[in-house]
Order: sequence, then structure tokens, then C-alpha cells
Amino acid sequence: MKILVVDDSRIMRNIIKNTLQYLHQPDDEYVDAADGVEALEILMHNHIDLLLLDWNMPRLNGLELVKKLRSMEQFVHLPIIMITSEAAKYNVIEAIKEGVNDYLVKPVTERGLLSKIKRIFPHL
Amino acid sequence: MDIKYIDPFIKATVNVFDEFFNVLPEVQKPYLLDKDEEHEWDVSAIIGIAGEAKGAVVISFPAELASILTSRLTGKTVREIDEDVVDTIGEVVNIVAGNAKKGLEEYRLMISLPSIVRGKNHKIAWPGKNAPVIAIPFKSVLGEFNLSVILENIIA
Repeated sequence: MKILVVDDSRIMRNIIKNTLQYLHQPDDEYVDAADGVEALEILMHNHIDLLLLDWNMPRLNGLELVKKLRSMEQFVHLPIIMITSEAAKYNVIEAIKEGVNDYLVKPVTERGLLSKIKRIFPHL
Repeated sequence: MDIKYIDPFIKATVNVFDEFFNVLPEVQKPYLLDKDEEHEWDVSAIIGIAGEAKGAVVISFPAELASILTSRLTGKTVREIDEDVVDTIGEVVNIVAGNAKKGLEEYRLMISLPSIVRGKNHKIAWPGKNAPVIAIPFKSVLGEFNLSVILENIIA
């Protein structure tokens, strides 16, 4: 499985990638991007199985990227988990309406992230 | 001062320190901050708030504590305020502001990207001319830091 981790904080990207090691999937591959523009570029040129996406980022934020992806046929079914500090209910509802598959509020815990991923990929 | 609007920021701060750094900071007595007062903090992480209230959330640290927290997250020895420190404290204030919105859902608020100000006695460009800044000092086993919140129309 190829997972794209998008967050403008390099330290957060590393924390998330380190947490993903606990999936114990030796063939998994992780790529990362610092904003929505970089992420879109990677998505256009690579097959990605799961997108872990921050909301507040420069250039193109996470919600804007979700809107863009869901309007493109090839990304309509791409699994997206939004990982963000935005904890208000109206933010969660907005993100779900735009098409994220799940929503995780930072700070990220190992158990929280892995349970969200396993909900989308029950065989893991 | 209505503490119910400060409480979400305090809870979010305690939670992020607990989850991220495995430290439970102790909240001290909040007070009204004099915007022109000199201070001893070396670096501050700032998030602007817009929407149904205008304001800011600021967390100020001594350089030593900012470095220790960064070392805890990265596993690397940090000796000065470098890119990793800026990243770490920026993420901390981002999480505090974003998480606090959960306790303020009667207002629709948007948060900015974090910015960092550093230097001895650095100045913060506080939004809101007449709104008060509430300062909440914290103590922890790793050192002291300060959370400041200004929310025009909400905290008067």
C-alpha cells in the first residue's frame, strides 16, 4: 500500500509516518508533501492508496484539495483521512460533506490513527 | 473575565503537553496582561483567530524549554532555536487553538497558520485595540511557559 502523508509540519509528517510502522506492513511505502499543491502533483503522477491530509496548510489547504480531488474522476474513491487540529463539530461536518472518509483530531495517537486506517482497510 | 471562554484553551494546552511531551503542566492563576509589559520569554508561537471573533492565541517559551520539547518530539539534541523548534512550537499552538474551538462552538471561528516571533522581550502585534489579553502561566517539570489569549467580542 502506498500512503501519502500531507502536513506543513515536517515533524508531524515524521510522527505520522513513524506511527504507520505499527501497521506492520513491510511492503507499505510512504511519501509526503508539505501542502496541497505538492500533494496534488504527487497524486497526478503516482498511484496512492491512502491520503492522510492536514487541513491548515499554505498555498492549497486540505479542504480545498479534497474539493478538487472529489471533482476529478480518478480520485472520487481515493480514501482520505483528514488529520487536523480543527476540533469543532462544524469543521468535522464540513470535511465529511466535502468527501473525506474519516476525520482525526490532533494530537495524533497511535491507537487513534491505526483504528481509522483499519476502518477503511479492515484486512490490515 | 468569563473563565468559561478561557477554559477550552487551558484544557487543550494540558492535553497537547500530555499527549505530545508526556508532561502534565500545572495551570497558575490567570491575569490581565499589560500589552507593553517587558517579559523574559525567548520565543512565541502565534495563531490568529478570525470569523465571529477576532483574536489570537500565543504560547511563549524560554529557549531552553522550547529546545527540550523539540528534543522530545524529534529524538535529536537541540541547542538553539532552529527550524525544528519553530516547527514544534508552531504545531503546539496550532493544536491548542484548533482544539479549543470545540469548547467555543457557539462562535464560528477560523484559525490562521502559525507564526513565530523570537528574541529577548520580543513584541507581539496583538489584534484588537481595547480587548484584554488574558495571560495564563503554566509550570511543568520541564520549565515554565505562558499561554495568552485575546478574543474580541467574546472575552471582554
